[in-house]
Amino acid sequence: MLHVQNRELVVPGQLIAEGGYRVYEGAFREGKQVYASVVGLADLHGQDIRIIPLQGRYIPKRGDVVIGVVVDSHYSGWILDMNSPYTGNLFVSDLLQRKVDLVREDINQYLSMGDVVVAKVKDVDERMRVLLEAGEPGMGRVEGGKLVKISPTKVPRVIGRKGSMLNTLQDVGECRLRVGQNGQIMIWGRNPRMINAVVEALLMIEREAHTSGLTDRVHLMLEKMKSEGGE
Amino acid sequence: MEKPEKLIVDGKRLDGRAPDELRPLKIEAGILKRADGSASVELGANKVLAAVYGPREMHPRHLQQPDTAVLRCRYNMAPFSVDERKRPGPDRRSVEISKVTREALEPVLFLELYPRSAIDVFIEVLQADAGTRTAGITAATVALADAGVPMRDMISSVAVGKIDDTIVLDLTKAEDNWGTTDMPIAMMPRKKLITLLQMDGHFTKEEFEQALDLAFKGCEQIYGAQRQALREKYAIKKGE
Repeated sequence: MLHVQNRELVVPGQLIAEGGYRVYEGAFREGKQVYASVVGLADLHGQDIRIIPLQGRYIPKRGDVVIGVVVDSHYSGWILDMNSPYTGNLFVSDLLQRKVDLVREDINQYLSMGDVVVAKVKDVDERMRVLLEAGEPGMGRVEGGKLVKISPTKVPRVIGRKGSMLNTLQDVGECRLRVGQNGQIMIWGRNPRMINAVVEALLMIEREAHTSGLTDRVHLMLEKMKSEGGE
Repeated sequence: MEKPEKLIVDGKRLDGRAPDELRPLKIEAGILKRADGSASVELGANKVLAAVYGPREMHPRHLQQPDTAVLRCRYNMAPFSVDERKRPGPDRRSVEISKVTREALEPVLFLELYPRSAIDVFIEVLQADAGTRTAGITAATVALADAGVPMRDMISSVAVGKIDDTIVLDLTKAEDNWGTTDMPIAMMPRKKLITLLQMDGHFTKEEFEQALDLAFKGCEQIYGAQRQALREKYAIKKGE
C-alpha cells in the first residue's frame, strides 16, 4: 500500500509504502515499511520505489560519464577532481587504451595539471576508490571550450526527457555540450555571446529545476539573447 | 534580573506560558548559500544557525575511516549571545556539547554510504536563552536533511525541567537558573528512540516519567515544524 503519490515531495523518515516493494536509492526498508531517507520527489513505478534527491554531492557510480580536472599525477597515471567527495584515478593505459612502457615513454606528454578530461567510471570499490577510463570516442583530454559547474542532482534536468533540453541548448544556443553526471559541463561554440547565453541558461535550469515548462522558457530566453546581438 | 518569588503564578509561567507549552518556534531551511545545507531555529529568544558541509574529502587524512564517513560537530556560542560577553573560542562546556550533539545525530545518519569522507556540522548560537544545545540539534538535523545526507529519521530535541515543583516543557534562562531541574532530550520521533539525555538536578522516578512524556509531546511539535521547514523550502520553487 502506498502512502504518497507519484512525484510528491517527501522528507527523511516519511512513510512511503508498506508491503513488498523494490527499494532503490533515497529510500530504505524497515520490516514491511518503506521510508524516505532524503528530501526529494517520490518516483513510483509499479513495484519500484526511488526518491529523486533535490540536494547532495556526486557519488561515483560505475558506467557514469564524468568530466574531471587533473589535480595530481603519479607514476602511472593521474588523479582527477570530480566535484565529489572522492577523487578519480586514471591510468595511462586506460587513457590510451594500449599497453604503455613507463620506462620508455614519458606520460607527462599526454595530460598535465589542470587539464579537463572526459572519462567514464570503470569501477568503484567498497572503499570508494574510483577507477576511470577514457577510451571511447569523444573521451580524453578536452581542447578549448568552457567548463560550467552545477549541482549534480540537477543533471537529469539539463538533459531533459529524451535529451530535449540538451537539444534545445545545443540547437538554439549554437553550441556543443558535453554533460558529466557529476555536474560539470563543457561548452564549445563559435560565438562567445551565445556561449555566455548557454551558461546563463544552465544556471537558470539549476535554479528552477523543480518547475515545469522549463524547456520552453530556456528556448525563449536563448532566442531572445540570439536576436539581441549579432556577431 | 532578580529572582522572582514564584516562577509559576496561577498556573502560568513568567512569560505567560502553560507548563506544557513550547516557546514560539520558527525553523527555516537553506538560508546559507555557501553551505551544502543550512537551517536556522528560533525558539523564543534563542537564535541558532546550523551549517552542514559534505560529505567531503576528509582532512587530515589519518582520521579517515575506510568503511564509513566521519561526523564532526562544532557547537559555538557567539561572544554577544549572552548577557555577559562570552570569551570566544571552545571552552569546556562547548567541547562537551559538541560531543553530545555528534552522538545525538550519528544514529540517524547512513554514514556507511560515504566511506573515507567527512560530514561537518557547525552550530552557531547567536542569541541564547537556555536550551541552546537542543535548539542546535534541531537546527543541525534540518541542515543535514537540506544537504541531502541520507537519514533514517530526523532528530527533534527539547528540554524539560522542574520549577516550583511543577514539571514544565522548554525552560527559559530564568527558569533554568532558579528552577530545580533541567533535562535536555533529543530523540527520533518516529520510533521514540532517545539519542541524548542529560540531567542537571533531581527527579523522583514518577517525575522523571512525567517529564519524559512531556518531552515526547514537545518533540512531536518540533518534528512537525522541522518537516514543514523542509517542505516550504522546495514548495516555493515549485510554485514559481
